[in-house]
Order: sequence, then C-alpha cells, then structure tokens
Amino acid sequence: MTDSCSSVSKLLEKYFDREVTDKERLLVESHLQSCLTCRDTLMSMEGLRTFIKAPVEEAVQQEDFPWVWQKIDREIRSQEKGSWWQSLRSWMGLSPLFKKKVWIPAVATIATLLFISTQVIFKKIPSYSERSVVEYIESETYNIMVYESEKTKTTMIWLFDEEDQESSRS
Amino acid sequence: MKRIFLILLFVFPLSLLSASLSYGQVQVRLRVFEASNVGTRIDSSLKDMRDQFKPLVDFSSYRLLKEETPTLYLNQSVSSPAHPGRKIELTLIRQHKNVADVRVKIQREEIDVLNTQVRLSPGRTISIGGPKHGEGVIIITLSAQF
Amino acid sequence: MNHEETQLISRCQQGDQEALKEIFDRYQKKVYRIAYGVVRHREEALDIVQEVFVKLFRSIKNFKGRSHFYTYLYRMVMNTAIDHARKMGKQFISSLDEEGSFEPSEEAGKWPERILLQKELEEKVKSAMEKLPAEQRAALIFREVEGLSYQEMADAMECSIGTVMSRLHYARKRMQELLKDYVGPQGQSGGPSNPLKEEGVR
Repeated sequence: MTDSCSSVSKLLEKYFDREVTDKERLLVESHLQSCLTCRDTLMSMEGLRTFIKAPVEEAVQQEDFPWVWQKIDREIRSQEKGSWWQSLRSWMGLSPLFKKKVWIPAVATIATLLFISTQVIFKKIPSYSERSVVEYIESETYNIMVYESEKTKTTMIWLFDEEDQESSRS
Repeated sequence: MKRIFLILLFVFPLSLLSASLSYGQVQVRLRVFEASNVGTRIDSSLKDMRDQFKPLVDFSSYRLLKEETPTLYLNQSVSSPAHPGRKIELTLIRQHKNVADVRVKIQREEIDVLNTQVRLSPGRTISIGGPKHGEGVIIITLSAQF
Repeated sequence: MNHEETQLISRCQQGDQEALKEIFDRYQKKVYRIAYGVVRHREEALDIVQEVFVKLFRSIKNFKGRSHFYTYLYRMVMNTAIDHARKMGKQFISSLDEEGSFEPSEEAGKWPERILLQKELEEKVKSAMEKLPAEQRAALIFREVEGLSYQEMADAMECSIGTVMSRLHYARKRMQELLKDYVGPQGQSGGPSNPLKEEGVR
C-alpha cells in the first residue's frame, strides 16, 4: 500500500457511502484508477452490502402486509376494550345499584321466566345427533385424511400434497 | 328498584326477538394460523388450540394470522381470504338449535382445492390443515357459537 | 416533515386509528426491512412490526415534532428489534443445534446445491451480525439496508456524524473478519453481485 493509499483509505468508506465532497470524490477516483488494493477493498464492501441487503429485499417482496395490519388493529382494540366497558357501566349508572342485594332474586326469577317462555314459544324440534361429523369431503388437488379425537372434541381434516406423499415413499 | 324493572321490561322483548332470530343463522369463529417447528412461540389466543391438537398433531410454534366471527345465514355464502392465494367460503346449509351443517370450500385460483360439509355443535372444532406456508403449514379452525 | 404527515400524526395523537393505518401503509416496508435486517427471521420480523405500531399508537402523544417523524420511528424499530434479537438469539441457535442442521436431512436432497449454500451464507451473516454490539448493528442496518445518510443515521441514533462513521467502520471491519471466507476479492470471480459464483456453483 502506497502513501497515497493511507490517505485515500480513510475516504474510501465515505466514498462508498456517497458522503464525500466533489473534491474528495475526484481524489479517490483518480487514485482508484491505479490502485488495485483500494479497488479490492471497495469490492469487499460491496460484497458485504449485498450479503446483508439482498435477503432483506427478497423477504420484503414476498411479504403480505394486510395480515399484519389485522393483528395490529385487533391488539389495539383488545387493549381499549376494558375502558369501553367501564364507561358503559358508568353511563348506565348500574354500579350503585349492585350494592342493593334485593335485585339478585328479582333478576333470577325474571331470567328463569324468560328461559321457560322462549322454550315454550319456540317449540322444540327433535334434534340431530350432536356428534359432529364430516358429511362429505372431496378435493381436486390433495389427498385427504380425517382424524377425530373424542377426548378433545376435535375433528382434523389433513390435506396432503401429492409430492409430499411421493417424497415420503421414496 | 324501578330502574331495574324498567331495564328488564326492555330486555324481555329483546330476548324474545333474539330467540326468534337465532333460527336460520349461526355465528362461527374462523381462525387461520401457521403451525411450524421453528421456535416455540405460541400466540396466547392459541394455547387452547395446541392442547386440542396434541393427540393429532404437535407443532412447537403456533402463530395466529387471522380471526373472524362472521354470522352465517341459511344458504348465503360468506367468503374470506384464508391466506395468500386462497379463499375460504362458508355456507350454512341447515341449522337446528345447537347443531349447524356448514359447507366449507377452499379455493385457489378459482379451483376447489377442498369441498366438504361438516356438522358443528357446541364445543366441537373442525380443523383443516396441511397446505404449506413459509416454514410450516396453514391450519384453519371453525367452531360455532350457539 | 411535510404538512400531510404532520396532520396524520396529529390525528393519530388524538386516537384516530385510521391515521395509524395510513402511517402503517407508508412505513410498513421500511419498518419490516429494518426489523428483518436485524433478526433475519420472517416471523420475528413480523412480530416486531406489529409490536412497533402498537407501541407507536400508545406513545405517539410523546412525539413533540422536534425531530423528523421517521427518526423517531426508526429508533423505536431498532430498539425493539435488538431486544427481540437478544431474546431469540440463544433460542434459535439451540433449536438448530437440536435438529443438527438448518434443514432436516431428508429435505436436503430436494434442494439444489445453490439454495443450500445461500442458506448457509445467510446463517453465517446472521450469526456474524449477532456478534456485533447493538449500536454497530444498528448503524450497519440503517446504512446497508435502509440507505440512510450519515445525518439521518445520526438523528435516528441520537449521536454525532463522527460516531456514526466510527460505528459503521468497526461494524464493517468485524463483519469482514467474520465472513472472510465469503467476502473478499480472492473469492469473487463472478463479481460482488453474485457472491455464490466464488463457490464454483453453476
């Protein structure tokens, strides 16, 4: 490395980041024409930038942000829910009333009457079996398996790509 | 006391109305999430799902992508994007008290990749999983709120 | 900061979620780029984006407009991302150790060699970034990923331009040392735009 290298090398990063003045840029560019070492240093910096930046750009291109907004919106709303309930309660002015215990049997009686009346008014129809079933299932692109767990009351329909099945066989 | 009775007088006809309206419609809870074995993070709203899935599938990470609670009306379809490139369509076929038959279609580029009809009842969850997404798979869960 | 953005911020400060949505639409990619640049993991980066905008909505009342809005936002992103990186660093590495590789062995046969080398390189870059002190990592991401000027970086990191240059210099030097088998003119027969050619992969 020559003497001029040591003075230019301090400017190389600034030059690479396009933060040099016009005078500094001319100095660096004329030095680069004859100095392989400094050119190699610049290339290394360029390589490092590519390694750091390229995967990030690729990731950004593939991302679908409306999904992210939904989660943000939900999070903000769930944080605000508590305060809405409190203001609703104060608006209805119910809080002092809860101090009077006489409302408990009154509300219980009314609730029971309501329940009975709605059952009577809307005649009961013989119900289907309450066990959940898969009535039919078809797919143009997947192989399907259906699993059931009575313990957790879960029915799982699992879709297999045909290439997943081939690779697991091979 | 007077205020209590006034409120209840208001509530009573509303309960009759809601009882009549509950036939021919059902509210469902639709969740779309990504399950993978990368990391051990489980979204807090999905911890119950992990316990339900354990006998069948067991991933280490569950990440909620979307949650909706649409109301389904008899023979009226409701569509929603399920995850990039896919759409899920729900149609209430039949409903009695606390049992609802729902047709579920998942479409990708206008092709029906899945067409099924399932019966929902209290406490029962239907899950559809398997399509690859990122480093894991997509799982869609459906349950009814009677 | 232009007038339109000032109005958006003011609306957001009054609790207008629509205004937050507009801010989100404007800055979502920038925030994601910075987050991904730090943690190099898609799901963590998305979590950071979510956390940042929720935090922003809560704390934007404290923004007095003395600096540019983007520097306020970038500082928030960087701090959140570095916190996440610290928390996930050991967890992620230990899960790799348990699996034995970054990809299950039965899957490796399906992947072209070029993709495997890219993944290996990505892991090396991630691992190297984790060894940098937080301020140096921030400087590198702001410059190499987001392309901020020295002045913008100084505003975002609340330091002088001289400090910015110093952090960048040491960050690049350390990264070059850690990635010396991949970066450097001796391996780059194909030029810096296609580093994998140095591996002789066709």
